[in-house]
Amino acid sequence: MRVQRFLLVVDSISTWCGKAFSWLIILLTVGVCVEVFKRYILNAPTAWSFDADYMTYGVLFMMCGAYTLAQDGHVRGDFLYSSMRPRTQAALDLVLYLIFFLPGITALSYAGWDFAHASWVIREHVNDTADGPPLYHFKAIIPIAGTFVLLQGLAEIIRCVICLKTGEWPERLKDAEEIDVVEEQLAHSEYVDEESRQRAIEQAHSIDEAARQRGLGDRAEAATARGEPKGDRK
Amino acid sequence: MSEPALGLTMLALIVVVIMMGFPTAFTLMGLGMFFGFFALYDPSQPWTQNHIFDLMVQRTYGAMTNDTLISIPLFVLMGYVMERGALVDKMFYSVQLAFRRVPASLAVATLIICTFWGIASGLVGAVVVLMGVIAFNPMLKAGYDVRLASGVITAGGTLGILIPPSVMIIVYAAVAGQSVVKLYASAMFPGFFLSFLYLIYIIGWALINPKIAPPLPESATTVPVPEWVPKFQQAYSRNMLYSLFAAVAAPAKALKIEAGGIRIGYGMLLKNLTAALFPLALTAVTFWGIWWYVVIHPQASVDHDTPVAAVVHKSPAAPAAASKPQARVDEKPRELGIGETTPSTSSTKSEGLEELGTPELLKEGPAAPAEAGPAPEFYIWFWISAAVTALLLAYYYWKLEAEQFEVLKLLSSSTMPLGILTIVVLAVILFGITTATESAAVGAAGAFLLAIQAKTLNWQRVKESVFLTAKTTAMVCWLFVGSALFSAVFALLGGQQLVEQWVLGFHLTPVQFMILSQAIIFVLGWPLEWTEIIVIFVPIFLPLLHHFNIDPILWGTLVFVNLQAAFLSPPVAMSAFYLKGVAPKHVTLNQIFAGMMPYMLVVILCMIIMYLWPGMTLWLPNYLYGG
Repeated sequence: MRVQRFLLVVDSISTWCGKAFSWLIILLTVGVCVEVFKRYILNAPTAWSFDADYMTYGVLFMMCGAYTLAQDGHVRGDFLYSSMRPRTQAALDLVLYLIFFLPGITALSYAGWDFAHASWVIREHVNDTADGPPLYHFKAIIPIAGTFVLLQGLAEIIRCVICLKTGEWPERLKDAEEIDVVEEQLAHSEYVDEESRQRAIEQAHSIDEAARQRGLGDRAEAATARGEPKGDRK
Repeated sequence: MSEPALGLTMLALIVVVIMMGFPTAFTLMGLGMFFGFFALYDPSQPWTQNHIFDLMVQRTYGAMTNDTLISIPLFVLMGYVMERGALVDKMFYSVQLAFRRVPASLAVATLIICTFWGIASGLVGAVVVLMGVIAFNPMLKAGYDVRLASGVITAGGTLGILIPPSVMIIVYAAVAGQSVVKLYASAMFPGFFLSFLYLIYIIGWALINPKIAPPLPESATTVPVPEWVPKFQQAYSRNMLYSLFAAVAAPAKALKIEAGGIRIGYGMLLKNLTAALFPLALTAVTFWGIWWYVVIHPQASVDHDTPVAAVVHKSPAAPAAASKPQARVDEKPRELGIGETTPSTSSTKSEGLEELGTPELLKEGPAAPAEAGPAPEFYIWFWISAAVTALLLAYYYWKLEAEQFEVLKLLSSSTMPLGILTIVVLAVILFGITTATESAAVGAAGAFLLAIQAKTLNWQRVKESVFLTAKTTAMVCWLFVGSALFSAVFALLGGQQLVEQWVLGFHLTPVQFMILSQAIIFVLGWPLEWTEIIVIFVPIFLPLLHHFNIDPILWGTLVFVNLQAAFLSPPVAMSAFYLKGVAPKHVTLNQIFAGMMPYMLVVILCMIIMYLWPGMTLWLPNYLYGG
């Protein structure tokens, strides 16, 4: 039970942190738009705006790495993987986490620490432009993001172990998914009849899952089968 | 083991490990680090000081400051907001009404919506599921052939990854060190051409064999006309444009009309008149835009630049001149994620015509304006097309009666906002007025405004779009970090050179190489996603293009189209399974696959045409940004 608790805490940390940093996209959009207005309309460009833009972008994607991992959002070659049984998946994942993920991300955090430290000591500034903005905070993101990803990676390893024991993947936190757009588009549709609408909304997730398995393996059948009675009940 | 052999082992291992389904970004990072560790091992230093760690962090930092990838989150956000903001079922309904007299009208409408939707979003799954619900069942009910119906949805659904602004193109630009705007310009015509070929195929098939797409029943094609319109027509004239003008001028008769509990107000008349004038305004703006870009814009920048150049000579601190170096800094190619590809100086040159003009103008002085003018043929063609369009418009307005008017109103409320935003975003990028990043940001902001205007935006959806954007960006960019390290180590070990020598050893002709490389990518497209193909496997081919004198822009565009075919090929195409999920039970997977096959052949035909006639791909980038 304590292991479950650890999983939940780590997942929440990664998700919360990733969600907090994902709002930087709004900052980036507004920042670039303001700069477009200033440069093209007022003819008064800002010297540091480009630096600010790529820093926003860099922090955004680095800090969301752990969040994406917590939501299983990093792209996988899931052609064969998705049709395997959960135990096989967990065994493969566990081995690969131990031999690729842990050394790789540990090295990234360690090397990033050196890199950021060197920059921090000299209080490095951007030197492309005169009076460039400070750079050392930005470089410090590498070890910080690395540590978050490493922490989430440990949680993923525990997930694999649990799955090996129980034969089922522990649940992930619920979050926005791409396929949700089906529900949003259809919920208030005036031109699609009620029945097919409801069916599509309810089955969207299992359809997504089945399509990723491309009809291979019995899980695909099971997913479609699970979807059907739900539709009939309505 | 020799170093190049290590490199090849690395390549073989990556294929195996990717197939095992581990997150690819970390696979690349781990493999790159291990092989790099051995490659850079120096016994005289402690292992913790191995240079692989420096390389790793440098590559990560390179991805964090990459000036091409920065537009990814912005375009992705724009896509997610549009996808949630635009009402796709309303769009389908109005487009279907507009094309109700065309053979196989439902299929044509599906294709058009998919093309439009493709501009907004790059997601295959969601499009296919949505169109499956909105269009597939109506098509089957109308008696359409199952193969026709399923083919058009699956083929249309995959168009999204090709038609700009697509994330795939940005990632290719970052990997190949090409300019994003040039690639957008080159993918423009092939993308719409492919969609056009699909259209010809559908209409052609329906004309040859009308049984596969029986005409719709009367009930499905009648346009709902509100009660006030016929009365309004009686009061003035059958022609809606004329009557609206008349009513605005002399509203007495119109204001007396009362039908279905609605009283006509003066505001309502004006609103309807604006809607009726919409096509005219759209045409006028388009033609004015072309005229401005070709005739006025070059001269204005000449006039504008010459004084600036003079100022630069006198005092470098002049405020007007200050903007130029700033723009330069922005375009300055940052360290590329993948070092051994060609440096992206081309992006510096191509981002804006104005900047290109400056140095030459400094030398040439007043002689420049004469050369800056367009070719004389341009004027002929411009006026001919303007005249033809004007005639068509006149005919359209002549025939504008109640039904047609209602269709126009539906179209302008559902399709136009999305259409206008995407056209503006694309035009701004393509004409080199702003950089890709800037137009992406403006596009994202515009998408928000549109969604607010359509009243489809709420807090929940904003949150979802932001979080999805964050996840997609992190996925693509972490993959890029991993692959940057991987390909650096691969090149360091000499694996890249070995592959090059090996391929050159076959003494292939450029055509053979082209076919071979595209065939390999096609096969890779079965099990893998486009992200993995573009980021891991494309860099291996890129240095070879130079040996065979193949333009990386043309080759890249062919890859984009090629992946369309790969994603349509049975039995691995994901879109078929998405469609199967929403289809009625009697539709089998084999019927869907059979429906997809012809579209795959159309894609291959499109690739052959693109290869035989490279002008279609390369004309627009060359015209806009020079050779």
